[in-house]
Amino acid sequence: MAAKVSRDNQIVPAMLFLIPASIGFLAFFLWPTIRGIYLSFTDYNLLRDPTFIGFQNYIDIFNDAVFWRSMAVTFQYVFINVGLQTVIALALAVLMHRFTRSMIIRGVVVLPYLIANVIVALVWFWLADYSLGLINAVIDGIGLNKIGFFGSEAWAMPTIAFVNVWRHVGYTALLLFAGLQAIPRDVYEAAEVDGAGEFRVFRSVTLPLLRPILAFVLVVTVVGSFQIFDTIAVTTGGGPVDATRAINFYIFERAFERFDFGYASALAVILMILLATIALIQNRLLRANESDMER
Amino acid sequence: MSTSTRTKRVKKVRASSAEDPAMAKSPVSKFFGRLALAIVVIITLFPIYWMVRTAFSDNRAMFGEPLSLLPVDFTLGPIERVLGLATPDEAIAEGGSGASINFGLYMLNSIITATLITVFQIAFSAMAAYAFALLKWKGRDAVFNLFLIALMVPVIFTILPNFVLIKELGLLNTIIGIALPAMFMTPFAIFFLRQFFFGVNLSIIEAAVIDGASQWRIFSRIAVPLVWPQIITLALLQFIFYWNDYLWPLLVGTTEESKLITVGLGIFRSQTPAGNPDWAGLMAGALLAAIPIFVLILIFGKQIVGSIQSSGVK
Amino acid sequence: MTKALAGIAALAAVPLVLAGCSAGSTTTDGSVEIKYSLWDANQMPAYQQCADDFHAANPDITISIDQSGWEDYWQKINTGLVSGNSADVFTSHLAYYPEFVLNDQILPLDDYIAADGVDTSIYQDGLVDLWKSPEGVQYGLPKDFDTIALFYNQQLTDAAGVTAEQLGSLDWNPKDGGTYEDVIAHLTVDKSGVRGDEAGFDKNNVETYGIWFEASNAGALGDGQTQWSYLAAANGWEATDGPWGSSYNFDAPEFQETITWWHSLIEKGYMPSLAAQTGISWSDQLTAGSVALASNGSWMTGYVFGATTDSFTPAVAPTPTGPTGERASMFNGLADNIWAGTKHPEEAWEWVKYMGSLECQSVVADAAVVFPSIPEATDAAVEAFAANGVDVSAFTVQVDEGTTFLFPITDHKSDVNALMTPAMEAVMSGKEPVSSLTAVNDEINGLFK
Repeated sequence: MAAKVSRDNQIVPAMLFLIPASIGFLAFFLWPTIRGIYLSFTDYNLLRDPTFIGFQNYIDIFNDAVFWRSMAVTFQYVFINVGLQTVIALALAVLMHRFTRSMIIRGVVVLPYLIANVIVALVWFWLADYSLGLINAVIDGIGLNKIGFFGSEAWAMPTIAFVNVWRHVGYTALLLFAGLQAIPRDVYEAAEVDGAGEFRVFRSVTLPLLRPILAFVLVVTVVGSFQIFDTIAVTTGGGPVDATRAINFYIFERAFERFDFGYASALAVILMILLATIALIQNRLLRANESDMER
Repeated sequence: MSTSTRTKRVKKVRASSAEDPAMAKSPVSKFFGRLALAIVVIITLFPIYWMVRTAFSDNRAMFGEPLSLLPVDFTLGPIERVLGLATPDEAIAEGGSGASINFGLYMLNSIITATLITVFQIAFSAMAAYAFALLKWKGRDAVFNLFLIALMVPVIFTILPNFVLIKELGLLNTIIGIALPAMFMTPFAIFFLRQFFFGVNLSIIEAAVIDGASQWRIFSRIAVPLVWPQIITLALLQFIFYWNDYLWPLLVGTTEESKLITVGLGIFRSQTPAGNPDWAGLMAGALLAAIPIFVLILIFGKQIVGSIQSSGVK
Repeated sequence: MTKALAGIAALAAVPLVLAGCSAGSTTTDGSVEIKYSLWDANQMPAYQQCADDFHAANPDITISIDQSGWEDYWQKINTGLVSGNSADVFTSHLAYYPEFVLNDQILPLDDYIAADGVDTSIYQDGLVDLWKSPEGVQYGLPKDFDTIALFYNQQLTDAAGVTAEQLGSLDWNPKDGGTYEDVIAHLTVDKSGVRGDEAGFDKNNVETYGIWFEASNAGALGDGQTQWSYLAAANGWEATDGPWGSSYNFDAPEFQETITWWHSLIEKGYMPSLAAQTGISWSDQLTAGSVALASNGSWMTGYVFGATTDSFTPAVAPTPTGPTGERASMFNGLADNIWAGTKHPEEAWEWVKYMGSLECQSVVADAAVVFPSIPEATDAAVEAFAANGVDVSAFTVQVDEGTTFLFPITDHKSDVNALMTPAMEAVMSGKEPVSSLTAVNDEINGLFK
């Protein structure tokens, strides 16, 4: 059908449309970021004027064993969190799309997201407690060994990842659901006429048409889960033995507990560059900038 | 998919499962699909139930029966503490804290703040998303990528400069001061809406341009209505996000007139190093604070699913 | 569109009106407002009372109190200091105030103390020195103190046939643990009801542990305030080479043998493993009967005794005597700092002085939350606790017998904790041997070079 919008350069209306967003971008994002990048080249304890020290913070970070360990556990978290969350949310969105129109179910699914994440973390901290938690009571009841969910090095990060999956899966499902709703109904009619089974409908109709939204969701959740902080802060505090000292938590610790703001800024710059790289690669791989829906 | 390129008029269709072609028809699929939904609902609801059970328990007696599925020594004390009906002495006696709480005012502050942010942020982000998706101009993707990087800016970069800026503007301890940084845009909203604007059928816009409509008119009368269910979804999610936001309102709004509900409920968390939270009060507070947003979802949720554009967006 | 614009304009007007309401922060009657911050909500009513009394005596000064919990508190104080928008007076902690001294964020009090002739000898011994910089400059007047003791569930000790007298006269040594370990072992019970010192005890299925250690607080393991410091000190160990020291002694045998014994409790099944105890904190575990005995600070007294249930009868015993022949308890206390950027230093000082006075401390004593630092008020607090049916002599005995030692105050405290906490976690989880702490000690001492 190939109807094209006029090729006229629309830069004037575009700029007008961008004015308010640009004010916010410049004042509340770009300026603080430029300042932060500058501070990453300084020795700055927040309470005294920063002194320029060139690349020293970056050199120190390179030799900082805690930094490398924190990167490793962060990747572990992102992998578990995003993997589990995306798969479950996608399944859930399709289920909601294909099997129910109930508003109650939609409301229920998003309920965990209504509870502040600090509270969610505390609730699970309790449910998963070794001595007083219901989960370990059940595990013990069926004759298995109790698990130190937040306290053992092997379990701590996966547990935290699971808690956040629990809170965000309904939210992610709603985002994907919004995408499913934008798929024209007649393609399902066509699939039905063809006699396609549930999985075939998913693979050849739903998934391709959902791709732009899926790409968006992946970029946003990956970027978001790299910045995990609250759940760790109220449960493990980075332990046991660095097992949950994710990069963003380490940055906060350096900045506000150890008053090493210059160093923390350098860590933050590294995290930003890493995230920007990942997001741009994702965007390219997933071709997020275009739609499969023919225009 | 070029078989389905008939241009339809934009119209609203009331969705019901009987006539909705997106719904599965096979009984076997239906059974397993609903079973899976039931499992998800149970896993989702159990911890929430645990919160309810705790909210009606006596904080002091609670750990006498830590595994009880029912409230321990059923009491309305925690609810009273949250609503600020208990005196400090009563609150301390029940295992709460001596700090006062003005629940109604904090709720009102939260409602105003979250509404203010949501309305402006989504309006301005939608405008930006429109420019990034449906207008053609040089450097469009580069500028978009720059905006996208804002998504990755760490909080430690923004929190102090933004605090100082709000202070310089004389907006500390005001609701507008809490809301301002989020009111102009968020990369998340721009990115989300841009993806949906990509799906808008360009022939409709083409036709409007030929009719001599201005870009503002095309945006507000054609593009926005086409993605309205998605805008409502986004608005709900952003509203919830700012409703639950903690650190920023904690720093900016410290007076009674500017304290948000999340910050007000902070008194139920541990007040001393290595102390204990007021578990019952904390859960009661979290649940009571969630009620307005749950109602909001039930009201606006209908708009997410209720009105479905037949094929304006394809 | 005009309708929508009008709507937006109306909405925008709301916050502006609200902003207008709260813009006037100076009080209407032209008096000076002093902003005061504290974290302990349980003490809020007492200090509100002090503030009201103070205002009655000084009508031209109004105190406005801002309370927020421990975690939020420091975030707010730091943001306030960095942005030049701090509370005029704030409750301070030894772990933080050296940083403020180093960066000229708080006012020295010596001139005020001299001018007003304040007698700093009225406070419990040693507390004043905690708030003195290495150069001997005074930055705070101590207002309260805390010590360590053993909280226990009397129903469990009764069931085990352990008396309060026994608990009050325990001795400990790092070789065999002394009677302290005997009691801990006897109080430990496995699922089939076998005690820790009986044959057939199953250490992998413990129902009630003998003792709990508090690992749920970041930094707690690093200085061991409530967990191991009372043992190490009773073993003759000192954390540093004196107040404001420049070297730590985590390599000393007195320390390392203490930790070796302490960790052995986990191996023997008398104390929960690190993995098992990251969760609900020790005091709720004590209430729930997961543990019989737990060492902690006097500030937890109100909480523990408030949680009395059918199965939990709280009581306190003093810490055991060690190889030195004496008990030991870390001695810590709070004071108020004045922000260097305050516009009203004189009025802020008046308020600080009042909080350190017998008048205000008596009010605090009546609240029975903490021990005020003036001995007279301390006695009043002991009585106030007793009126609530709580015998706090296990905490005050350390002060009476002079067996307290001061919180190890040094520079780089947060860096020391950041190094020690994971290292101690590694030791307690059995991942690293106790001797690994020697290398950590070298790294810590490197900070001071």
